[in-house]
Amino acid sequence: MKLLTGLTFLTLSGSLCAHQPVMDMAPRWDGGYGIQTRVEHFDDVTTTWVEGIYTWDKSIRATFKLPYAGGEVGDLILGLPLKYYTNQGAFTSNWSVTPQVQLPTSRDGDWDTGVSLSYSSETPTFYQLYDLYSWGDRTGIDINAGFAFPGDGGGMFALWDISALASEEGDRIQTGPVFVYFKRNMMFRAEYKHLVYEHDSDWSGGFFNVGIGFVY
Amino acid sequence: MFRKICFIWLLLTAAASAWSQDYVVKVNGIVCEFCSYGVAKKVSKLPFVDHSRHTKGVDVQVKDQLVVVAVSADARMDKDALFAAIESGGYHPIDLHKINPDGSWSVYQP
Repeated sequence: MKLLTGLTFLTLSGSLCAHQPVMDMAPRWDGGYGIQTRVEHFDDVTTTWVEGIYTWDKSIRATFKLPYAGGEVGDLILGLPLKYYTNQGAFTSNWSVTPQVQLPTSRDGDWDTGVSLSYSSETPTFYQLYDLYSWGDRTGIDINAGFAFPGDGGGMFALWDISALASEEGDRIQTGPVFVYFKRNMMFRAEYKHLVYEHDSDWSGGFFNVGIGFVY
Repeated sequence: MFRKICFIWLLLTAAASAWSQDYVVKVNGIVCEFCSYGVAKKVSKLPFVDHSRHTKGVDVQVKDQLVVVAVSADARMDKDALFAAIESGGYHPIDLHKINPDGSWSVYQP
C-alpha cells in the first residue's frame, strides 16, 4: 500500500512535471552536463530523485529524472528542454518548451507524456521563473521569484515559491520559501512549501525538498 | 646607492615584461557565477591563457558583466578564439580591452 501511495505520488508530484531547479540555470554551455540528487517529502511519502542533463547547445538539452520511493524505482522521465535566450547587459532571460515522456520502468509503470512552457529571467540581484505544465489530466503552474546575492566565486538566492496543481485526483496550492546556495559548479537547494489549499483530495502536510547538484 | 636603485629598477622592469597581460571582455547577460561556470571553463582551456593568474587564468565579475583573462607573456591574445569560447559558454561577448598597468583600459589592437 505504501508502495502504491508512493508511486501515485510520483505521478502527482508537481516537481515531476515542472521546472528543474538546478538545471534551468546550468549547464548552458556547449557539451555541458550535470547531475543532481534531491529528496522530497510530501503526504507521508519520501521520494529520492536522481536527475541528469546534457547540453548540446544552450538552446537544446536532454534530461532524465528517476524517482525512488517505497523501496522501488519509479518510472523514468526523459525531457528535451528547448530554450530561446535573450542577453542584454546585466539581464538574461529565456523561454523554454520542454516535451517530456515517462517510460514504464517501474513494476507497474505506465507510458505518459507531458509538456511545460516556462520563462525565467535573472539579473545580478533578482531571479524569477514561471513554469506552466501539463501532464496527462494534470495542469499546474510553478512560480519562483526572489533575490540573488552574488559573492566571491558563488552566491545565494532567497526565493519564494508558489505552485498550483489541478487534476482529477484533486487540486492544491502550495507556497513557501526556497534557499539556494552555489559555489563554482555546485548548487544546493532547500525548500518548504505549505499546503494552503486543497480540494477533493487526501493530501495533507507540508512539502520538503533538499537537493544538491553539480555541473561540468 | 644609485647603482642599487638602478639594479632594482632594471630587475623590476625585466620581471614586468615577463608577466602575463590581462584583458577584459564585456559580456552581455553574465549575471550569475553558477550559470557562467562554463565561460570560465571554456576560456581557461584556450592555449594562450596563463593559468597561474586568477582562477585558472580567468576571473568572471558578474556584478559588472566582465570576464578578465590573463594571457601568458610568451603568447598572443586570439580575439576570435576568445569570443568563440565565450559564445560556446552560452553568452555574447561585446568588446575586448587591454588592461594597462595603471588599471585603465585600452581598446584591443591585434
